[in-house]
Amino acid sequence: MKMPVWFKPWFDRLSSMSLAIVLLVLLALASVIGTILKQNQVQADYLTQFGSLWYNVFLSLGLFDMYHAGWFIGLLGFLMLSLVVCLWRHTPRMIKDMRKRKVIIADKSLQRFHHLKHWKLNKAELTQTIETVRSCLSGWEQKTAEDGGKTYIRADKGRRNKWGYILVHGAILIILVGGWIGSQYGFRGTMTIVEGSTDNTISFVKGTGTGHLKMPFDIRCDDFFIDFYPTGMPKAFRSTLSIIDHGKVVVDHKKIIVNEPLYYKGVRIYQASFGDGGSDIQLKLFHLGTGKIETVKTKVYETWRDPKTGVSLEITNFRPFNIENMANPGEPKEFKDLGPAVEFILRGPGLKPVKVKTFMRPFVMKGQDRGNLMLVSLTGEDSDYEPFSLGLDFSQPTDWKLYRNFVDILKKQKKDNSKTANFAAFKSAMSKVFGNKRPKNFQQIGGRVIQGMSNLSQVPWPFIPVLEDYDQVYYTGLELAQDPGMNTVWVGSAALVIGLCIMFYMPHRKLWLVLEKKGNNVKISLGGMTTRNKLDFEQEFHELLTKIEQGFDSSSSEGSAT
Amino acid sequence: MTAMTATHFSFETINRGLPAFARFCTYLGAIAGITAYAMYGPSGYGDEGLLYFLTPSSFAWIGIGALAGLASGLTTGMTKPSVTEAKVALNLVSWLDGALMMILLAAFWSALEPSQSLITYTDQSNLISGRVIMTMNIVFLSSALLYITYLFAPASIVGNLATATAWIGVYSGGSALLLRWYESYLLSTEIGHAPVSNLYEVFILLFCITTVIYLSLERRYQAKAMGAFVMALVSAGVFFGIWLSARGHADIKPLVPALQSYWMKIHVPMNFVGYGSFAVACGAGMAYLVRDYLEQKGGNARLLAIFPSLDQLDQLAYKAVAIGFPAFTLATILGAAWASEAWGGYWSWDPKETWALIVLLTYGAYLHVRVSHGWKGRSLAWWTVSGFLVTIFCFVGVNMYLSGLHSYGRL
Ligand code: HEM
Repeated sequence: MKMPVWFKPWFDRLSSMSLAIVLLVLLALASVIGTILKQNQVQADYLTQFGSLWYNVFLSLGLFDMYHAGWFIGLLGFLMLSLVVCLWRHTPRMIKDMRKRKVIIADKSLQRFHHLKHWKLNKAELTQTIETVRSCLSGWEQKTAEDGGKTYIRADKGRRNKWGYILVHGAILIILVGGWIGSQYGFRGTMTIVEGSTDNTISFVKGTGTGHLKMPFDIRCDDFFIDFYPTGMPKAFRSTLSIIDHGKVVVDHKKIIVNEPLYYKGVRIYQASFGDGGSDIQLKLFHLGTGKIETVKTKVYETWRDPKTGVSLEITNFRPFNIENMANPGEPKEFKDLGPAVEFILRGPGLKPVKVKTFMRPFVMKGQDRGNLMLVSLTGEDSDYEPFSLGLDFSQPTDWKLYRNFVDILKKQKKDNSKTANFAAFKSAMSKVFGNKRPKNFQQIGGRVIQGMSNLSQVPWPFIPVLEDYDQVYYTGLELAQDPGMNTVWVGSAALVIGLCIMFYMPHRKLWLVLEKKGNNVKISLGGMTTRNKLDFEQEFHELLTKIEQGFDSSSSEGSAT
Repeated sequence: MTAMTATHFSFETINRGLPAFARFCTYLGAIAGITAYAMYGPSGYGDEGLLYFLTPSSFAWIGIGALAGLASGLTTGMTKPSVTEAKVALNLVSWLDGALMMILLAAFWSALEPSQSLITYTDQSNLISGRVIMTMNIVFLSSALLYITYLFAPASIVGNLATATAWIGVYSGGSALLLRWYESYLLSTEIGHAPVSNLYEVFILLFCITTVIYLSLERRYQAKAMGAFVMALVSAGVFFGIWLSARGHADIKPLVPALQSYWMKIHVPMNFVGYGSFAVACGAGMAYLVRDYLEQKGGNARLLAIFPSLDQLDQLAYKAVAIGFPAFTLATILGAAWASEAWGGYWSWDPKETWALIVLLTYGAYLHVRVSHGWKGRSLAWWTVSGFLVTIFCFVGVNMYLSGLHSYGRL
């Protein structure tokens, strides 16, 4: 192969081992950055996190979408170039070496071998000795030649070891090419479909924004099913999908689950996630000032605004089960379903925005109704939810009635705050609500109302929202992907693993035996070498020596090791 | 690889020739039997998971397979004695012996299990596997102490005890994991899954794999001094495992849908072959650095006499990486295959994936540095040690500090 003179130094440099090492280390370092700096987040978050100076530095380096940044791709391209040059340079020589095995070896070369042994066999026949030695070398590829009265035997194991090198480095090229094909001609994105509806567009992260792509077919989510473990963890979820291509139903009610995708027209459709698809929510607002009870109908992802007070509820999520571990840390776990709950962010004039989870059912512990519970997070993070007991059981109309009456009577007798007066007020509220016929559990009701008196007075909002009814719909989160480069990647991967095994586990071991008839005796030299895995070769060589010596046993042998 | 083979001549004979070959064929037959049962068994493999294989009909299939294997092994072995010399059979048979012993041990533990009515998901403290794991912790810690003692008091009894305790640790850890597998089904069939689903379980796996890799190197290359370093690493892991269990991470938990896949059983253990070998390479590297330091200081001939030579240690580290690198490459590829089936793409630059790549690049660079001239000995030893730090970050650091798709093992 001829190449221009000016090119030679570049060629050498590109195929040099130092460059390979530098490239590997650089890629590793770049990847570290990519994992520490969260990729593809909202730009505003980066800005607040790093300040405008560093934000701009990072942005211009493309660090927010690093794996697609020019310099990162360039690094991969450089690796490919280097691999090509490397293979170009080494492969022909390696193949030639593997084919041609030099049998005749100069004495001087043999003397330099790390593993070397000489014998002198007295009164031995040459052909007989050769026969013995060759049978000891069964399992080795042998080649014999004669030159200048000497017989040379060359034995090889793992002669094709260099194919390992070719396969490994070729495989990495193939994998990179496969990845490139995928990134150029493939796509991958998510599609969320509410139960019962149809969609055909996927969305995906594109640079620092979001891209959209229309599929050549429609997907309808006929049904979504989810099953939970007793601990509240999702156990399995499954979508029933139909695919509609040009108005025709081509896939009808096919079920897919996680780890078992659906395949249509080169596109894989995966079950990836699920969530609330905009369930109908009915809330009851218990107004603390007026005592009025208002029913509000809204939906998840919608915001309901109270025109009078300006307070708004942004409904963020609904869940039909809310299983919590009620045990203290260290105690055996005690899972309990707190029932359906809706989450919302409450905002209003003069109010600190908070995230709230409110339930439909009261909290019952050890058979006792402890009234309704709310979880309140001051930061908006789920991990910061703190339970807040409302005292009253809002699902029982009498609780609220008694509470209101008690409040009213107390207001009227403003001046007298004594215990007896309070007790009298409570008693008259009781008889106002229940008359003479007190229910059996009136003591419990009373306890809840008194609890409610102290707890509700701490609530800064004009009303207490309680979940009354719901009609749940889910959305199914599908992942759609097409990757024409994937099979290339698998081919490359297989070659990589096979190549590595050849490279590491079939090292090339070479032996040279030189036999020479000297009068009545036969002089034998055995030299061995390997490029890799020297420890094992040492053992193998010694085992071989023992074997050969045993083979010589019949004839008197006189060994002298070097 | 059993503990006793090296010491007793009577054991040596059954590990050679016809006895070994026939045993190997028996194992192959049993494996074929269980595979056939999984594929063509009467009721079909389904949601029962492990329990499907713990039935009389399954044992019958395995037994028939084993007998057929034994018969064919004996006949071929006797008619053609040369096949009994096959390296593959001789090398694999002791591993299969070990696996069988582990299964028998786990079966023995399972007999000690409390009655089914006392086994509850909410309180798993009465399960036997917890006790076996505790034993394993203690045994591994003692093994580390014995190996360290051996450095300063190289009596062969200390050395043999160190090796024996390491083996006992492996068998307790391995059988505890098998038992835990079974226990997960005792809790409930729907909870049951292979014990490779959370950090606590894979830590135990890691101890066992690291120790086994080290022990097989020890046996082949008489490198006992390295044990002090490898077992010290394992001990550090043991303490971490104890911390995890104190934090309540030791409980058997049900699997999230993404992990309910046969890929988990292949991908995860394969990864740990990689991690384990890199740990052993790190042990060899540390031994190298210590020996190098001692030589420079020109002191302590007695200590030096126990250590393998610098060249040997360098080769041992390479040997360990040569096991780990292909295994970890394969594990990463298997992970990519799983990802392409579960997440819709074989590569997502998720932190765990990316760190696996970083680990591969680190050791890839190490291998190239070895081949190229100039860098030798000490810098390579440092490379194996720092490479293992990278590995540790990939293994635990990512779970602690970075979030992503692999967030099943979050701490
Ligand atoms: C991700 C990229 C690469 C990987 C994973 C990789 C992997 C390997 C492995 C595992 C070995 C065997 C080392 C040993 O024998 O212990 C090796 C050897 C080698 N690599 Fe790479 N390699 C990569 C890139 C490169 C590049 C870019 C070059 C050229 C610039 C290169 C040139 C070589 C050479 C010349 C050898 C020695 C072959 C021999 O003499 O047996 N490699 N490589």
